[in-house]
Amino acid sequence: MTRSLWRYLVPLGLLLVFPPIAYATGLEFYTGLITKIMIFALAASSLNLILGYGGMVSFGHAAYFGVGAYTVAILTREGVTSAWVIWPAALVLCALLAFLIGSICLRTRGVYFIMITLAFAQMIYFVVISFRQYGGEDGLRARRPDFGLFELSDTALYYLTLAVLVAALYAVARLVNSRFGRVLQAIRENESRAAAIGYPVYRFQLVAFVIAGTLAGLAGLLMAHYTQYASPNLLAWQQSGHLMMMVILGGVGQFWGGVLGAAALLVVEEILQGFTIYWQLGVGLILLLIVLFAPRGIAGLFGRRGS
Amino acid sequence: MSLLTLEHLTKQFGGLTAVNDCNLAVDAGEIHALIGPNGAGKTTLINQICGALQPTRGQIRFDGHDITHTPQHQRVRLGLARTFQITNLFKNYTVLENLELAVQARSGSSFHFWNPVQREMHLREEAEQITELLGLTFRNHTMVAQLSHGEQRQLEVGLALACKPKMLLLDEPMAGMGSEESGRMVELIARLSQNLTILLVEHDMDAVFRLAQRISVLVYGQVIASGHPEEIRANPDVHRAYLGDDHGGRHP
Repeated sequence: MTRSLWRYLVPLGLLLVFPPIAYATGLEFYTGLITKIMIFALAASSLNLILGYGGMVSFGHAAYFGVGAYTVAILTREGVTSAWVIWPAALVLCALLAFLIGSICLRTRGVYFIMITLAFAQMIYFVVISFRQYGGEDGLRARRPDFGLFELSDTALYYLTLAVLVAALYAVARLVNSRFGRVLQAIRENESRAAAIGYPVYRFQLVAFVIAGTLAGLAGLLMAHYTQYASPNLLAWQQSGHLMMMVILGGVGQFWGGVLGAAALLVVEEILQGFTIYWQLGVGLILLLIVLFAPRGIAGLFGRRGS
Repeated sequence: MSLLTLEHLTKQFGGLTAVNDCNLAVDAGEIHALIGPNGAGKTTLINQICGALQPTRGQIRFDGHDITHTPQHQRVRLGLARTFQITNLFKNYTVLENLELAVQARSGSSFHFWNPVQREMHLREEAEQITELLGLTFRNHTMVAQLSHGEQRQLEVGLALACKPKMLLLDEPMAGMGSEESGRMVELIARLSQNLTILLVEHDMDAVFRLAQRISVLVYGQVIASGHPEEIRANPDVHRAYLGDDHGGRHP
């Protein structure tokens, strides 16, 4: 018990003391990189909840990520400055969007589900870039909102992101071990049997889909705070693929899959970009090796079961 | 008093009529066997009764309710549980984990997101009672994929039992079993029928005639005969359509 507690406290402690150390040694760049990794860790973990635990291969997860970011950008542009308005607005919007998209997509299965989630995300992408007044294909500047209690400096954003990530991961950990989480995984294992013993499969999947979409929206709004900009790239299908790659790399259905995958992929990208403009080839090779030799991802290499 | 009645039940898949104007009444407390040659529509019928398939026409009544359009999960709650002809279990879970899931389904809402389900000891206790009833206690912590075929078939029945049904729909529970295993299954079904109504779809005629109080014969999606085992055995239509073929010989 104490040993497993240390396993969480040590990385958390390191993350807590990192910014001042980085500041003192002139490595502030890395504070930003870690913020970005934590944001993607949240987004990938939210995808892992439906893809890994729920068996729903959503290829449109960028929709919620991007809509979260765009809500920040559009609201600040329209003169809303309070984070206490912007955050709930973004989360509610993403939840509603996930409810709408999920309630249609979850009537399909397999390849159809993949394609229809992708189609919805692409629809949102094209709708957003068609709004000239909101930047079109150039994206839109997203001022950092006013929290009232503190100024959202880069360091404050780092700690805010860390707090959100820890809280979200804790909630997801509770969820996957709860009654709901057990049923969600049972549906992934055997849908027809889950229905035959009396579970309303569709309802469980839809609730999970909405939770995942909302968490992705949360990551998206943090992303807008981080870059102070909402880019159409956040909504594009490549972004959905990027999140999916993180989950596969980290471990599908493994609790730390999203976090490890986001960290590994972003660090590898960062390193390879320093060497070559063909860095994507390297990323592809690494993903290929993982899929071939470590099907349970990086988290699986540590030999612990996800649930 | 009939617990389950089917009236004019019809299921078409495109141009194919799998179940054609089928009428059937199962009385409370009986073991009612449903027999018929391959492709007669037995599994399609079961799928409609349990709610996995919507009928094209007709009505299903269960325990005083019209359940024709009731979703599957609510039918389970009303007391209708089924097994599958082709074993359909949570293969990567242990025997107890399988049963706990079924117990959980009928013990309160599962839309709880926070408390660890493992702390709910009553789920485990009820699951253990079922393995005891099945005689599978020694397999409690075995992964289902590692069970023998016969044990998996027993767990099929156990999962349906864990729903605490009023009526069991057993879709060929003896499928693929050796004689010793099917003997044990006959015993189990006989024991269960003391408290339950059972609709038994089965090809094993020895088992059917040992267990059933009434038998209905389904041919080309229609019930051609329904009655006590002796009546069915003596019915010439049934002989022609089914029993004759079952013994391999052809009666001119």
